[in-house]
Amino acid sequence: MAVSPALSNRREAWGRRVLALAVVSSIGFLALVGQLWYLQVLEGGRMQELSEKNRIRIRPVAAPRGILFDRNGLALVDNRPAFTLSLIPREMEDRNQVVARLAVLLKMPVGELMEALEKVPADSIRPVRVRRGLSLEDVTMVEERKLELPGVIVEVEPQRTYPTSTFAAHLLGYVREVSDEQMKGGRYRRGDMIGQSGLERLLDEYLRGRDGGERIEVDALGRPVQVMRREEPDPGAQVITTIDRRIQEAAERAMAGKAGSVVVMDPRNGDVLALTSSPAFPLDRLTGNLDRDEWVRLVRDPMSPLMNRALQGLYPPASVFKIIVAAAGLQEGSLTPMDNIYCNGEFTLGNWTFKDWKPGGHGHVNLHQSIAQSCDIFFYQAGLKVGGDVMAKYAQAFGLGSPTGIDLGGERFGLVPFTPAQRQRTKRGMLAGDTVNMSIGQGQLLVTPLQIARMMGAVANGGVMWKPRLVQRVERADGTLAYGSSSQMTERVDLSPVVWAFLRHSLAAVVKDGTGALARVPGVDIAGKTGTAQTISKSDSAKGQDHAWFASFAPVDDPQYVVVVLVERGGKGGGVAAPIARQIYEAIFLQKVAQVTLGESG
Amino acid sequence: MLKMDRRLLQNVDWPLLGAALFIIGLSLTCLWSLNPGRGISALMWRQVSWVGVGLVGLLVVVSVDYRNLVRFAPVFYVVGLGLLISVFVLGRTVSGARRWIHVGPFTVQPSEVFKLIFIITLAWALTSARGERLSRAALVGTFVLLGVPFFLVVKQPDLGTALVLVPVLGATLVGLGLRMKVLGGLALGSVALMPLAWFVLKPYQRDRLLVYLDPFRDPLGTAYNVIQAKIAIGSGQLLGKGIGGATQSRLAFLPERHTDFIFAVFAEMWGFLGCLVLIVAYALLVLRGFEIAAGTRETRGRILALGVTSVFAVQILINIGMVTGLLPIVGIPLPLMSYGGSSMVVSLTALGLLISIRMRQFH
Repeated sequence: MAVSPALSNRREAWGRRVLALAVVSSIGFLALVGQLWYLQVLEGGRMQELSEKNRIRIRPVAAPRGILFDRNGLALVDNRPAFTLSLIPREMEDRNQVVARLAVLLKMPVGELMEALEKVPADSIRPVRVRRGLSLEDVTMVEERKLELPGVIVEVEPQRTYPTSTFAAHLLGYVREVSDEQMKGGRYRRGDMIGQSGLERLLDEYLRGRDGGERIEVDALGRPVQVMRREEPDPGAQVITTIDRRIQEAAERAMAGKAGSVVVMDPRNGDVLALTSSPAFPLDRLTGNLDRDEWVRLVRDPMSPLMNRALQGLYPPASVFKIIVAAAGLQEGSLTPMDNIYCNGEFTLGNWTFKDWKPGGHGHVNLHQSIAQSCDIFFYQAGLKVGGDVMAKYAQAFGLGSPTGIDLGGERFGLVPFTPAQRQRTKRGMLAGDTVNMSIGQGQLLVTPLQIARMMGAVANGGVMWKPRLVQRVERADGTLAYGSSSQMTERVDLSPVVWAFLRHSLAAVVKDGTGALARVPGVDIAGKTGTAQTISKSDSAKGQDHAWFASFAPVDDPQYVVVVLVERGGKGGGVAAPIARQIYEAIFLQKVAQVTLGESG
Repeated sequence: MLKMDRRLLQNVDWPLLGAALFIIGLSLTCLWSLNPGRGISALMWRQVSWVGVGLVGLLVVVSVDYRNLVRFAPVFYVVGLGLLISVFVLGRTVSGARRWIHVGPFTVQPSEVFKLIFIITLAWALTSARGERLSRAALVGTFVLLGVPFFLVVKQPDLGTALVLVPVLGATLVGLGLRMKVLGGLALGSVALMPLAWFVLKPYQRDRLLVYLDPFRDPLGTAYNVIQAKIAIGSGQLLGKGIGGATQSRLAFLPERHTDFIFAVFAEMWGFLGCLVLIVAYALLVLRGFEIAAGTRETRGRILALGVTSVFAVQILINIGMVTGLLPIVGIPLPLMSYGGSSMVVSLTALGLLISIRMRQFH
């Protein structure tokens, strides 16, 4: 056997390295033996004892959900302790009997209880939550019959409570147990409460916190003997929103009984101060147990209370759009402040006759007066001069037809006709009649109240388009910052300073002595524009079928608030929407709002 | 097919096979005690049938020259990759992870099968390059080749299997004489990459990872398992409670008691002495594997033997380590003990590979 020295060296090296690995493994095996010696011989007696009375119960301790605050530190929602009925499958010796007793006691359908139990393994030690928000009476009944109900426990969990049933419903959103569908992602545990809409959903990750747990030893009757270990829950983070609760309440009060939306924004930074949508849905009835009847009622309601009209409702902007026609005309030179027409209440184009909202017309009017009086005849002609394409260009520059980028989901885009993309999509060509319709904000044009608010913000601040901001920051329970946001300028509308000044001046005149006079508040200069949008069902155009708009900002010289009001099928903008804006301005400037204490209705 | 050389048969490693069969026997008694019965629904009988399938796999591998297996590594690799991908398409989600696919009435866990393919591919990739020295190119190629399936396994997510593959690769490279400097560099590099991965993870995934590191973060889930397992093991004391007396396990306080936590059941029944016997059997198996690896002259055989042995060693040490509370909880079965078809068949086939190498050592 002639093995070369190199080869034998290599073989030796291999053997040495494998030996080293074998030694490492052996050390591992020795460590295992050591640990087993410790557990079974040294600690064995104690473990034996533990195993004999192994009645350890694990009880989750729900983390309190983070609170949402308004910009001044007032709470928008709160938590209060609520009773939850839970079943521990492993401890239910005769499941059918216990369920039957419970069903009779609490007047609950057996099917509902069984359904909840069937979703988890039969030997699960984790409590299954079957009903939330038990009354004190129910709790007493269950506790009194504890011995007949093995495996049934009552837990205390924090539950959401709201200032009023519908307060800021669309903004806040409701919180409910995670659904089977949502469980699929593996992110949640059965029984977790998560935000299902609005800010509660958007910020759920921060608000939820982390549940803690308790390991308790119980005696044969299930009574706790001692808490062996308690892991405190991490409370959810606190959210400081941009909302001003005072203004939000005033806006909701002013809109009571009406359908529509109010948006209040700060034109200096895009902060949303109030955002309403009515009719609203009752938050408290959607939180906790699923009230199926209530849910069906809400979904079937023809007024669709679940829709957030501020960002999902599409309406023709009507005369509010005249601001854009004027801006486009002045900037492009197709209109001048000196333009002057005689308005007799009618305008003829080919075979078509377009009427002014005011029978008989406005007489001699210039651009300034046409804005103040909202003369349609002037703007029909102005629209033809400016042209559909240019109007569309400016409408897009002011953010119409595109989402505002607000953090709440489901925002709708609206529609601006005459854009290149839109022209491609429509089969029929755009006619002069379409241009005329567009010049008073009718026809195919569709906007959301939030888009109008952003547009008015740009008019107020001289062209800066802000992304509407709802959340200022999120603070963890220990005070550290989990999330912070700053104002974001998305675009800028470049118009000559003279044009901005003219627009502000004319819009001030709308309120001073024009169609928006009912919005006047003594001591405050308000600029605004009314709008009355004709709805499609023109045939039975009874009074009160039109959508009423009032888009405004104040004070004129130093704009700090944009207030946009839309009342669905409310009537005339000047008669219906402007007084609502007045109530909101009064709340802002005259501080007449009585403070409603939180939890009063909870 | 089984026409084999007399000399080959003489070299069958009976101690290795004996240790494995002994351990399987202990496993079956545990399964019997957990779920006694005669029907095919009883855990034990089902496991017996898996042992049968595994022994067939063992015989097939033994009868084939392992060098031929390595030659066909690319085929195995592609099939393995296909299986791993099929998990994402056909897979069934169980508690948030997709690990199983259905084949007729059975469910197969491709990541388990892939452990074996991983080793064969490793042997193929590290030896197919020309020259005796381990070249840098071969090394990089190996990493790329194994990185793809590794990523798929992590993605399922089956962190347990992924965690086994890393030390196996490490052990093989050490055996091949990769310089410590390079190995250290690789280790440091992967440690440095970890914070990066942290940012990619979603918050709930981070939470899960933290629970792996600190079970008490999740007081309701993992921590409960660890405590119950410790109580079961400890209460077995020196001599154990016997088959009838293992209340802790039988009363189902123990989760996953027939799969990943089966060691706790065994420990409760047979006590410290029983555990000692089992661990000695395992140690014998592993050390015998290392001995076979050390005594092999041919490079492919060396890599295969070392790889198979490390897979066994790593899984045994991690599983018993976690059940006894020394290591954080990860989903790794105990080879030859845990209930589960994929694991049993793969383990026995892997043993077949070791035996096959040993038989052909002196050719």
